[in-house]
Amino acid sequence: MILDLHNHSIKSDDGRARVENYCQWIRKRELPLDGLVLTEHRQFDTESDYRKLEDTYGLLILKASEVETDYGHVLVFGVNEDLQNAFDFTRVDLPLDLVLREARRCGAVAAPCHPGRINVGLCAHYGERGAVEGVELIETLNGGSRSGEDDRALELAKDHGYRGFGGSDAHIVSHIGRCATRFDDEIASMDDLVQALRGERFEAISWKS
Amino acid sequence: MTRAFASVELGDDLPEVQPDVSMENVRLFCASARMPFGRFTDHEKARAEGLPGAIVPGIMSQALLSALVHRWSPGCRIENMDTIFRAPVLVDSKPTCRGVVTNTDPESETIELDLTIVNEAGETRVVGTAQVRL
Repeated sequence: MILDLHNHSIKSDDGRARVENYCQWIRKRELPLDGLVLTEHRQFDTESDYRKLEDTYGLLILKASEVETDYGHVLVFGVNEDLQNAFDFTRVDLPLDLVLREARRCGAVAAPCHPGRINVGLCAHYGERGAVEGVELIETLNGGSRSGEDDRALELAKDHGYRGFGGSDAHIVSHIGRCATRFDDEIASMDDLVQALRGERFEAISWKS
Repeated sequence: MTRAFASVELGDDLPEVQPDVSMENVRLFCASARMPFGRFTDHEKARAEGLPGAIVPGIMSQALLSALVHRWSPGCRIENMDTIFRAPVLVDSKPTCRGVVTNTDPESETIELDLTIVNEAGETRVVGTAQVRL
């Protein structure tokens, strides 16, 4: 099962894609995706209900968040009410160790994304301040990465023994499906996804040319 | 001639364009746009501001994307265009402008496009969307 774990819709301030257009695009271009995860910036979207789109297009559509920490941006899968009350998602300077700790306490998974990116990635901060305990999973393939950024992420994962996943980081329709994650097991819900990401039965994949 | 709405499908690619962003052409643009700033027209002055070299002005990038659309469908009307500048387009580089149809609305006979400018390495520098009436 292949899911694109990192995408933004018009709910994000810099997102320009409607979710239905992502779905249409996936089907029109026959992308090998079984679903996508919406990771809106600095928020968790409690309003949108994508079940009708799931039925229409035969895709799994899940919701997560991308928060901003003192070590760069972090995807949080499995956001629930407890976690929303644990810290302020709108802040741009959340302590990474707080996000990791609270995510774990609330049954979620927090994973630094595009770690090789300058300023908003983990690698630069590790270089200056050292590694953070509690990181286990990072985005090793990101659809928006520039030259060398994914290589740095893969090296970081290798050096620290982190598991790696992939996501497109799409902000416009045509950028979905550039990177994704292939799971050995069926994923039907956010609970399934969180469980799978805690294990090792998945791999990051890329279709970037 | 304007392209017929019925001939356009979701997923259609617009023909790519490699625009002229030479220093000479950017200086001409800046002169006509009354933007005589060194960060656009002089590599050394741009580097002094911490940039990797002179950069193509944002409104010139938008103009290049507009030209891409009009080259594909002369006479069409761009109802709106929204661009996000993710990284600078460098003067004297060889960028490529791309567009693709991401939605068609038969009622209003408008289409939506994704627009991008990528550099020689294939890295996206500018992303945008446009709503176009054919």
